[in-house]
Amino acid sequence: MRKLACLITLFTLFFTVARSQDQGKVIKGKVVDETTGKGIPGVSVILKGNTTGTQTNNDGAFSITAPSLANAQLEIGSVGYERQVVDVKGRTELTVRLKLEAKGLEDVVVIGYGTQSRRNVSGAQTSFDVKTIEEKPIARVDQAMIGQMPGVVIKQQTGMPGQGFSLTVRGPGSIAGGTEPLYVIDGFPLDVVSQGTNGSFTANPLNNINPNDIESIQVLKDAAAAAIYGSRAANGVVLITTKRGQIGKTKISVNAYGGTSSVAKKMDVLSPQEWIDMSTELDNYKYITKYPTASVNDNNAQRRIVTGTAAGAYSVQYMNDDRWTQPGHPGLRYVNWQDEAFRPAPFQNYEVSASGGNENVRYFFSGAYLDQKGVLLNSGYKNYSARANIEVNASKRFKMGFNLAPSYAETATPLAEGKDAQLMHLFNMTPIVEDSAGLLSGAGKNAVYQWASSSVSPVAYLNNTISLYKTTRILYSMYGELTLAKGLSARSSINYDESNQTYKRYISDFVAGNISNYLNIPGRSSSGAYSGFKKQNIVNENTINYNITLKEKHTITAIAGMSYSFAHTESYTLSTANGFNNDAVNTLNNASPTAAGVTVTGNTTETNNALMSYFARVQYSYLGKYLLSGSIRRDASSRFGIDSRWGTFPSLSAGWRISDENFMKNVRFVSDLKLRASWGRAGSSNIGDYQAIPTLANANYSFGTTAANGEVPSGVASPNLHWETSNTYDLGLDATVLKNRINMTFDVYRKVSTDLFLQLPTLAASGFLSALQNIGQVQNQGLELGLNLVPVMTKSFQWSINANVAFNQNKVLKLGIDGAPINVSTAYTGNPPFLLQVGLPMYSYSLIKSNGILTAADIADPKVAKLPLETVGDTKYVDKDGNGIIDANDRLLLGQPNPKSTWGLTNNFRYKAFDLSIQMYGQEGGVIYSFLGRATDNPANGRNTTNGIWRDRWTATNQNYNAPRGKIGEAYTIPLFTSDWLYSSNFFRIQNITLGYNLKSIISSGIFSGARIYASLQNYFDWDKYKGGVNPEAENTNVSGSSAYPLPGDYGAMPLNKTITFGVNFSF
Amino acid sequence: MKKVLYTSGCLALLALGACNKDLTQVPPSSTTTANFYGNTNDFTQAVTGAYSKLRNYPDAALWMGEVRSDNVVIATDGNRDFQGINDFSPNLTNTSFVVTEWDNDFSGIFNTNTVLDKLVTNGTNIADTSLRRRFGAECHFLRAFYYFNLLRFYGKLPIVTSALTPPQVAAIPRSEVKDVYTLIISDLQYAAANLPGAYSGADVGRATSWAAKGVLGLVYLTRSGPTYGLTSGPGLASGEYDLARAQFDDIINNGGFVFSTDYPSIFSYTNENNKEVLFDIQYISTTNGGDFPSQIVPASYWTGLGLSGYDNAYGTSSYNVTKNLLASFKNSAGPGVTDKRDTFSIKHAFLQTTTATVPDTINPFEKKYINPALRGASRSDWPINFIVMRYTDVLLMKAEAILRGASGTQSYVDSVVNKVRTRAGIATVSNVTIPMLMEERRREFIAEGLRWNDLVREGMAVTTMNAWIASDTIPTIRAIIPQYIIYPVPEAEILTKPGLYTQNDGYY
Repeated sequence: MRKLACLITLFTLFFTVARSQDQGKVIKGKVVDETTGKGIPGVSVILKGNTTGTQTNNDGAFSITAPSLANAQLEIGSVGYERQVVDVKGRTELTVRLKLEAKGLEDVVVIGYGTQSRRNVSGAQTSFDVKTIEEKPIARVDQAMIGQMPGVVIKQQTGMPGQGFSLTVRGPGSIAGGTEPLYVIDGFPLDVVSQGTNGSFTANPLNNINPNDIESIQVLKDAAAAAIYGSRAANGVVLITTKRGQIGKTKISVNAYGGTSSVAKKMDVLSPQEWIDMSTELDNYKYITKYPTASVNDNNAQRRIVTGTAAGAYSVQYMNDDRWTQPGHPGLRYVNWQDEAFRPAPFQNYEVSASGGNENVRYFFSGAYLDQKGVLLNSGYKNYSARANIEVNASKRFKMGFNLAPSYAETATPLAEGKDAQLMHLFNMTPIVEDSAGLLSGAGKNAVYQWASSSVSPVAYLNNTISLYKTTRILYSMYGELTLAKGLSARSSINYDESNQTYKRYISDFVAGNISNYLNIPGRSSSGAYSGFKKQNIVNENTINYNITLKEKHTITAIAGMSYSFAHTESYTLSTANGFNNDAVNTLNNASPTAAGVTVTGNTTETNNALMSYFARVQYSYLGKYLLSGSIRRDASSRFGIDSRWGTFPSLSAGWRISDENFMKNVRFVSDLKLRASWGRAGSSNIGDYQAIPTLANANYSFGTTAANGEVPSGVASPNLHWETSNTYDLGLDATVLKNRINMTFDVYRKVSTDLFLQLPTLAASGFLSALQNIGQVQNQGLELGLNLVPVMTKSFQWSINANVAFNQNKVLKLGIDGAPINVSTAYTGNPPFLLQVGLPMYSYSLIKSNGILTAADIADPKVAKLPLETVGDTKYVDKDGNGIIDANDRLLLGQPNPKSTWGLTNNFRYKAFDLSIQMYGQEGGVIYSFLGRATDNPANGRNTTNGIWRDRWTATNQNYNAPRGKIGEAYTIPLFTSDWLYSSNFFRIQNITLGYNLKSIISSGIFSGARIYASLQNYFDWDKYKGGVNPEAENTNVSGSSAYPLPGDYGAMPLNKTITFGVNFSF
Repeated sequence: MKKVLYTSGCLALLALGACNKDLTQVPPSSTTTANFYGNTNDFTQAVTGAYSKLRNYPDAALWMGEVRSDNVVIATDGNRDFQGINDFSPNLTNTSFVVTEWDNDFSGIFNTNTVLDKLVTNGTNIADTSLRRRFGAECHFLRAFYYFNLLRFYGKLPIVTSALTPPQVAAIPRSEVKDVYTLIISDLQYAAANLPGAYSGADVGRATSWAAKGVLGLVYLTRSGPTYGLTSGPGLASGEYDLARAQFDDIINNGGFVFSTDYPSIFSYTNENNKEVLFDIQYISTTNGGDFPSQIVPASYWTGLGLSGYDNAYGTSSYNVTKNLLASFKNSAGPGVTDKRDTFSIKHAFLQTTTATVPDTINPFEKKYINPALRGASRSDWPINFIVMRYTDVLLMKAEAILRGASGTQSYVDSVVNKVRTRAGIATVSNVTIPMLMEERRREFIAEGLRWNDLVREGMAVTTMNAWIASDTIPTIRAIIPQYIIYPVPEAEILTKPGLYTQNDGYY
């Protein structure tokens, strides 16, 4: 409380300072838009060389006092316009015409440890136009970046609210070391957090950041731009700069939006009647196959005699439910489970920010609240966040400031995604229940419908479980910058990032599927857990900067510094040992004891890592025409062996501004043309702590009646473990033509990642199945093209296009010692479907190929390879080696998981007060193997086969050999991992359509400097060929089951949300 | 100005010193090989770790020994891993049971080798020299035990006798079966000479010298078995029946074991580690429960008991005791008599749901180790030991050795078999032959996972199995060929270092 009071006092002080003004002559003026001639409100007008500043009013008018009119210079600037310095020349009234900022060209862009004019950038980096965030309802920063930057691929793995998305820059360069980039927020490099092996994130760096607080986002793609971040830059670096106060009057802006989400796509499953048809066919087939005397036409009474079933009882494998054919199916209820579990969900978001400042103090404050109900029952996300950025010029030489961003989020994430979780149940649940049980089928005292797969109703499950994350996060930076001499300054910062997360899970015995316990020992089958972690990361960075321009020709910028980072994580977990005493209280104090008196099991673990770095960079420019830049970084990480922990990461880049050459002077249509070339090396240490140290693990046993603790080595020691490094070569061309109407960036690159962290398979006789080594090489090479076009630019109508396309070719160059291919198995039975092999893309699919349906002629033909027990109507497989046997040797290479090309296209239109933007993106060239597909669409799964594809199956009466699937209920053993469940992951999606209307022409009260209302549609339209699930980008299960080969796949994904939103932006 | 620079320079240097130290991190939450093996307690835990891989033994014995044999036939509801084992599929290289057992035994061998290595380097940290010797002998026993399991299931094996790195192991090909036997026998001889004869209190269940001798006797008996015309099977036709008999005689004369008069009490939850037991895999509830009682049991049995979470999680398959075995019990007991082992070991009828009135009588299964009243918290928490070798086995193996040519009399053989039959409550027999003896073993050791190895050892794996398939008319099971007496090497092992291991014949 006292701290708060202190802060408030401090703020008051700032405001007081901000209001102080000098006395003198008054200059009156108006700032207008050069094209429209209309007054521009909120423009900052500063008297140069003085602390005096003001802002224009709603009509663009201002008045400022200067000590003398003769030499006064006014510095005038506003976001989106080019800054101007006006000589007053004694005038007391003047009109200033501001030019719209030539897009991109004269921008100052943020680079690692500094800023640079975009003109002079010689590395490959791409920036994201943050203004588009402000105009759209965006809950997460990563969501806003989708499809906006060439070579930056953002995957929406899930539609669960509050979840982070995966971001990959220029293709995956690591097999086990993660592919997530380094995030740097306001100069604070956050600890790299990798995507979990199942595709989720526990502490995504972009969580809890309010998109509206962001001023700019830069993605450093090549090693030359990123190498200054050394060992953590191999996967690219995302630089995020938050908003700062601008000199001028306090600007307050309010954004509010709300709307409704619903599922973008539902899984196509059989309807109840279709399911009955299939089930009847299945029962009949099994019945006549099993019993020689049986006939399909036998009624249930006759079937009881044949199968030896008691009167009134059903042998459900061989008998149909009599009610299926009775009119109105008495006693049964038909259910569309997806309709029952998905709901239209409202969301609302409010943001307020205030910013302003004077020459001495600049500030930005914001607060935001987001409440997003989930489309799936019992899911949702709430986020409360705030930010304060304050910078003070303490003296002429010393500047200091702090950034503070606390936030709190509650994420209700039902246990719904992944194998045998509720979404998979939703998709393969039998669409029929006993009327008496209804949606509570299998829950409480209700038995599961006899003919159903044995699942508890997902609706009941979702409604009777708790799965809630609460996350508090605080990001804090404090810095000081001292000007030592002209052009020489030193800066030091201390940064602290703390995340605290708790997780509560409770599964009531009502849905535990144990009727006997539910009735006789209430609470016993309930289970609960409470777990969480605290993660602390402290970073200290100290740099010295030097800028000098010699003879107005040579500009040199140099920086040298050191950085130290320490991360500590402690986590705990508690869970019930023996259920609960009852269902009334679901905290663990209500847990019931085992015979041994144990109520709760739990443990805690801690882990640390330290990173120490030195770095330097020199940038040289000759007349802005010839550009050179070189950087070097030395990093040491505690994760590696004592002799291998230091790594060196150098980079070089050069640029040639062709357009400044004499021979280009006459080429009028080219405003700017720059050729860039760069090379750099970056690293990755993303393998977790203590991998170089041989540790022991528990391996227990018991003797007599006594438990005995045992210890065995937990893995192969890797004392020489060191950095993964990637070398990137990049050649780029930036061009601006036709007076900034066309902006183009073209890059061609080759990135070779070496010394990969690889859990190389080892022979079991070594005691382990794999060992972590620095072995292997992966190459990503490709082309990227970014294009900004302004086809129409008139007073009343403007149209701009942002288009980008990227092609990436991923290839394994080296593996293991002798280059043997690595066959990566799944966590499930079957031939290994993934292949790591030199010359192929990472994790290429190696599957047995289905090729139609066996005809009678095929069955008779001994040359056609068949599986034992296959008959007419079953799947025909390709016998690659032609030996008549279908086995692992018949696997064929059937594609790669990563897309070969990705693209994005955004069209922005502005007509008078209306604005319209349409964002699209897509990908081509990848495939996805769906485990969910296999679970819902498999002839051996009997009644669990619910995929809509079975509508057109082959049957004895409908001998359609072109059907997508053969016979249902097959007895032969399917060679698992066949092409049946491999789908193209090509898609394109209209990510966002936003229509806005600027109210300024209507509201003329003078209070507002900006007012806009808008409506927006998100994820409303998409096209894909994915029948194995609901989202071709879905990731929710580590299908390899091993952290050595993290392979997030789809085993039941939350569909993406489509949302309709209405919102308002006000600023005053 | 200079002052500022100077001060910050100093501060930076100070910070560097502190930071450099931070680069050496010790895990706060796990022990490392550098700070372990420092005292007796550490070694006690390391030896316990060497035992821990025994926990997979019963599952392998049931799935790869019982299910493979003519004792059990499976009707499955889908694509299950055990189907190929039961059906004699030539494609078992990715079958989880086959893969797990290979990995598991080699992991156990690595753990024992680690302790043996550390006993050499750090052994003096154990002050009590007799304890140090015992630890070593226990590890020799365990290494032999793991290797013998592997040898009987897979044939030729790479021989690894210390904790080696992966590249070192990648240079070791599979050795001939006879060379693996040499290691096994020398390990068992060392263990037999250095292990105590019995333990008390919290050490009960550790390997004894008698356990080592019993296994050694079985090793000689197995090595003496027929080759089936192969060079990779466990039988080398070595004719060492006298060597086997000598081990069994030592146990019978000096071991202090007792032939239990009550068959069920041998497997009683309240009579563990009884006088019948030479060696068993230890389980207690909560920290070290067993999952084998739930393995080859139909899920509907548990449903009928109103229990969930005790099924084997393999769907609704049934694991039927074969008609042939049911008939064997019936025929040897004769009309009006029931074999006590039949009653105790087989569930002939059970209710499939809690509300059912008509019991399932067409899916009899092995229930020998199940006592629902004393179950643990889940399918993997059964508090009952699994017997690896018991005194009755020693007696019958001695009889087998005699019938195969070791010194001894037919009357001894008959007396042992009749001892067993009398305990089972059935009539005595005379002039026992090898087939009679093996059929008696089949009934005596039902559900103990011995049957498949017995068939292989006595040269019956092809003939008896094929005869059974024909008599029980089971269309799904392929004809047995000699190559099937062992399993294939897991595919991953073949792929990891191409060319190092060759796949066993008969498999792809």
